[in-house]
Amino acid sequence: MLVLTRRPGEAIVIGSDVKITVLEVRGDQIRIGIDAPRSVKVHREEVYREIERTNADAISSAGRAADLARGGRLPRPSRARVVPPQDRPGASDDR
Amino acid sequence: MTTSSTDAPEALDDRVLDFPLGIPGFPGATHWVLTDLVEDGAFQLLQSLDNEELSMVVSVPWLFFPDYAPNLADGEVEALGIESAEDAIVFCSVTVPEGDAPPTMNLLSPFVANRHTRVARQVVLDDDEDRIRTPLPLGA
Repeated sequence: MLVLTRRPGEAIVIGSDVKITVLEVRGDQIRIGIDAPRSVKVHREEVYREIERTNADAISSAGRAADLARGGRLPRPSRARVVPPQDRPGASDDR
Repeated sequence: MTTSSTDAPEALDDRVLDFPLGIPGFPGATHWVLTDLVEDGAFQLLQSLDNEELSMVVSVPWLFFPDYAPNLADGEVEALGIESAEDAIVFCSVTVPEGDAPPTMNLLSPFVANRHTRVARQVVLDDDEDRIRTPLPLGA
């Protein structure tokens, strides 16, 4: 890992279009500003890891969830909200 | 932009989605297909075409949470090429924990696809981590 020392107000540039600025140091908290193109996703690490974990959990419980869904044993939306086939996720748009 | 549950009637065609970035935790899984699990369309199976062992149960969040209003970041909207809410297909993963805990839906990071190009991403809405495991309401 590359380690750099910066003072508040100083910045690091990554590549040509990502800039990370140390804004403020207060006790054990550091405020960081990130300038990046909109296409670059920026997440707090723990949020991103939690999404990874939830995806892994959804995948590992897929068999159980599918069995429950087929058996009508998952909570059901009300009848009025049943989705017609053409409106279900993934239905294609060939108008 | 705020997406809505408004869906125009369309022809059912192939239901393959292209995730150029994969999904968090599974970056290599870039092609997935949706199939219905139940006749009324309440649940679908999102199945990886790259690895047959990867699949998850998904559902349209508005079936269970009518007030759900995912606010997509401009960057996500741009990357997906979505111009209006009608362009978006939105669905969320369902997890069934072992034991007695209720099934949950991931409302923090829904899957969003461009209906026309079939390009999809799992987006992150905000840092309200509690929404990642929202219990499915019973008898919604």
